[in-house]
Amino acid sequence: MELKQAMEAATSELDVRPGFVGDVMAGGRRRHTRKLVTVTAVVALLAGVTTGVVLTRSTERSADPRLTAATTGPLAGDSEFIATASHLWSEAQKDEPWKRDEPVTEVSSKPNVFWTGQTPTGPAALVAQEVWVRTSEHPATLVGLVADGKVVNREIVLSEARDREAGLYRFGPVGDQYVVLTLGKTVSWSQNPKRGPDNRLTRTWASAPHDEDGVVFTVVPPEERPVFVRGDSVPQSDDFTQPTILTGDLQPDRPFVPHPGLGWEGQFCATAFPEQKNSWPGLKLQAVQHELQKRALLDYIVSWEATTDWSVCAWLPDGRYALMFESLGELYGALYQPDGTFSAPVVGGKAVKGEPAVLSLPDGQGTIVADANALVGPQEREHAWLAPSGTKEVTVRQKGVPKVIQLP
Amino acid sequence: MQDFEDFVALRSQALLRTAYLLCGGDRGAAEDILQDVLMSMYGKWRRIRTSPEAYARAALANAAANRWRRRSRKPEAPLELGAVPTARGHEQQVVDADSVVRALAQLPKQMRAVLVLRFFDDLSEAETARALGCGIGTVKSQTSRGLSRMRELMGEQVLTWN
Repeated sequence: MELKQAMEAATSELDVRPGFVGDVMAGGRRRHTRKLVTVTAVVALLAGVTTGVVLTRSTERSADPRLTAATTGPLAGDSEFIATASHLWSEAQKDEPWKRDEPVTEVSSKPNVFWTGQTPTGPAALVAQEVWVRTSEHPATLVGLVADGKVVNREIVLSEARDREAGLYRFGPVGDQYVVLTLGKTVSWSQNPKRGPDNRLTRTWASAPHDEDGVVFTVVPPEERPVFVRGDSVPQSDDFTQPTILTGDLQPDRPFVPHPGLGWEGQFCATAFPEQKNSWPGLKLQAVQHELQKRALLDYIVSWEATTDWSVCAWLPDGRYALMFESLGELYGALYQPDGTFSAPVVGGKAVKGEPAVLSLPDGQGTIVADANALVGPQEREHAWLAPSGTKEVTVRQKGVPKVIQLP
Repeated sequence: MQDFEDFVALRSQALLRTAYLLCGGDRGAAEDILQDVLMSMYGKWRRIRTSPEAYARAALANAAANRWRRRSRKPEAPLELGAVPTARGHEQQVVDADSVVRALAQLPKQMRAVLVLRFFDDLSEAETARALGCGIGTVKSQTSRGLSRMRELMGEQVLTWN
């Protein structure tokens, strides 16, 4: 069979859902109308013509108090620094085009420095400015941090989604300084999770309640795995399920970036596909990770280095299904019943780059041995093999070179 | 914009199939990125109407490649059983329609995109390079390695290609 023919066969039953065309047209029209309104307004403004559109738009102001608030913080009286921060902020908009996640069509107010502070590497300022964006019918707030003589990062806060503001800025020569907005909640942060003898993790939390400045500054080295949480209370030491504050700068900025950790990419299977099964369980890795986090076995995943893009599945002798993955340099697994209910967690050892990954499963279900692009086990299975219980050693052939792995 | 609506109506199914393969068999993600790409094409229709299909396929490839970047920021997803649809029940010549999707899912995203654009969408090497923003040499090497990997992954189900 040809590859094309196989691909066509695999997709022959796929069709878009009912109403898809209508959804695309409505969504496209909405986006386009927004763009046209903006262009019309700008043109009208340039021509000095007061149109209904302009009147409508110019009268709607953002309700974000930071746009007009008086400057707070330790350097609030330093007018020279405030002027410098405003200047750097405006210059950054001239020097750098808006990014893909900054659909700004118009900047509609002057920047306002609403907080200042002193950091180990110099003064810092938080700035807010009203903008219009393609994705909203209402004015939004562009918020950002000026530090180290530049705009560290900025974020668009939609008026209809202000509860989704990240409000977290990382900066400094080694990226260890943080300015966090409390946004009316308690900000808690933690570093260095500890794993106990029962494999369960704990974190010690520091916190700062909402105060009149509404800003937290702290220094945490990246290797100490800082995690920030904004909520009504401080998380428990064994709670790894709180929504964390994430920022875009923790993501890679190009499509094809080598993955961290073992560096593997792909979904491998350590066993054959059972005859009686006609589909994969389709487990979402995030859901599997959440099950382990609920049991305090897996740390918060808040950084690019914490995530990998490989997993190994296996159908087990007792009918259960296992998934193995890597996070923060360690191997993990989870067992599921055939009906998709969670069955058991597995905590493996360190993931060592260049070495096969080995995960012993409970209840005598064997050991998963994985090595991307290698031939594993006596059947020379590609990438991964489920070694039966009692197996003492496995041969892994990487580029034809055999290597014997001792199993625990 | 009648012609854009016609394009969406006529070509969505084919584009969804491309997106499905680019996403390694994730049907939900395929629909998401297709809808996003088509909505973004609405406002650019005059500029791209001469070759909308090529634009859409390039945009889908890039959206699929970028998909994992956003994954960790999305809210928790529920367990989904049977997320990969099957094409079983077709003629027996289809040895196992799932297996090609499973094999594609194991490839690195760029390699997968090259194979899908070259062999499913019949793009030339130059067109594939343009769509993915890489050189023709990269397309050639990724094609060669990708086909080799696919042959290995498909096991006994012998694949041929022109």
